[in-house]
Amino acid sequence: MRQDEAGTAALTTIVMLPLLLVVLVGVLEMGALRAVAHRAGAAADLATIVAVGDQDQLELALSGKLRLAADAADIARDYFARNLSATVPALGASADAIAASADIASFPTAPSLDPRTGARYDRPTIRLIASIPIRTPGFAALLMPAVTTVTVRSVSSPR
Amino acid sequence: MKTHTALLLTAMLLLSSVRASAREPVEDEGHPIPAPPVPDPVAFVVPAGLYYVTDTYVADVVATSEATTIYSTTTAHESTGSYARVIDTVDTGASSPFDGMAFNGRGALTNGQALAGTYYENFVLTASGYVPVSVVFFQDDSETRHLRGKPTSTAAPNASATAAPVVTTTQRRDESAAPPATEQQVPIAPARPTMRAGISLAPDGPMLASAEVLRGRLVQFWPRVFADDVAVPIRSWRLLSAQPDRISAGRGSTQPFAAQWIRMPAPGVNWSLRFEIFSEVAPMERLEAEISVTLRSPALVN
Repeated sequence: MRQDEAGTAALTTIVMLPLLLVVLVGVLEMGALRAVAHRAGAAADLATIVAVGDQDQLELALSGKLRLAADAADIARDYFARNLSATVPALGASADAIAASADIASFPTAPSLDPRTGARYDRPTIRLIASIPIRTPGFAALLMPAVTTVTVRSVSSPR
Repeated sequence: MKTHTALLLTAMLLLSSVRASAREPVEDEGHPIPAPPVPDPVAFVVPAGLYYVTDTYVADVVATSEATTIYSTTTAHESTGSYARVIDTVDTGASSPFDGMAFNGRGALTNGQALAGTYYENFVLTASGYVPVSVVFFQDDSETRHLRGKPTSTAAPNASATAAPVVTTTQRRDESAAPPATEQQVPIAPARPTMRAGISLAPDGPMLASAEVLRGRLVQFWPRVFADDVAVPIRSWRLLSAQPDRISAGRGSTQPFAAQWIRMPAPGVNWSLRFEIFSEVAPMERLEAEISVTLRSPALVN
């Protein structure tokens, strides 16, 4: 390599390195964000599934039909907070606060219509929609928001 | 010398030994200790012809209509939890070995002949079986006579009656008319109850034809029997057919049947449970009950 070509390579590296670092940080942060969002979604799914198991035993004895217990939404909220606790270091708020602000609706009888989503449920259903604030320090280093909010949605019913 | 001393000591030890009272560890191995004999359960003898009482004795009634006097018995439609059976049916004037045993007695016609009717023996169910408690006579007779003058009406309630007897009297003077035909009444006897069997999900719950069950959940099914819509105790039940993965027992009496399903059926397929049930009211009557089970599992909805 001649001396002038070596100088060109060094210059190119100096110019492109920040750009490469920006792309690398962005990709890594995006991957981390997706992983945390996936864990939050799993926490919501498990919470609604657990809540579906909370059935009204009196109604079952009287009619033989499954019907969600009156506290099914509270059960879902409680388990959502518990499931989120393992992800707290990556979250921008406490698990309890996120669970408390989640929109959890119980549709104990079927068929029923979800006024928020417009969905029609043929079985007793628990629906959970939550906004999850996730820390994104990589984005902050790139002069982007330090907390990115993702929305998770979960719907469960006995099928 | 040493040899003699050793032999002497050994002999002394042997002669002074006593039998050890310790248990030999391997003494009873291979010889299992026989279990104490369990006496056979006492046979639960059910008197022949026994049935559950749904109509109870109230009073003896003597009613006169024209020239006919009818001797009958009034009953009340109620269940006191007792049982009864017919022990004798007697005609007019006939004697019975149970004469004098009925708490309400056996009346007589105006000519002194004993009334026709039926003797019933009452039972109560106890832990030791059916215990006879009393005998009651259900009179069922009539007599016709030619009257001259004012007709009479008599009412002869028994002293043990708990309610006033119903007496119907009619005053008519057309005595020349032919005497009314004597109607032979069917003895008033406790009706045999209509038995229904079913399955419920609670000890006092309604009978269900179908039920939804969550996968993996242990569910209790209670075989139940109703006699004229009145719940009666279960003597025994037996599972005839079922597909659960786990069950508590294949037969029982007062305990419910517990079942758990792990495997999901094919879409559109329902499990079913079929039972054979015997009740205390009609121990010889075999009843069947069936419940369809729809198995569901908590799942995410897209």
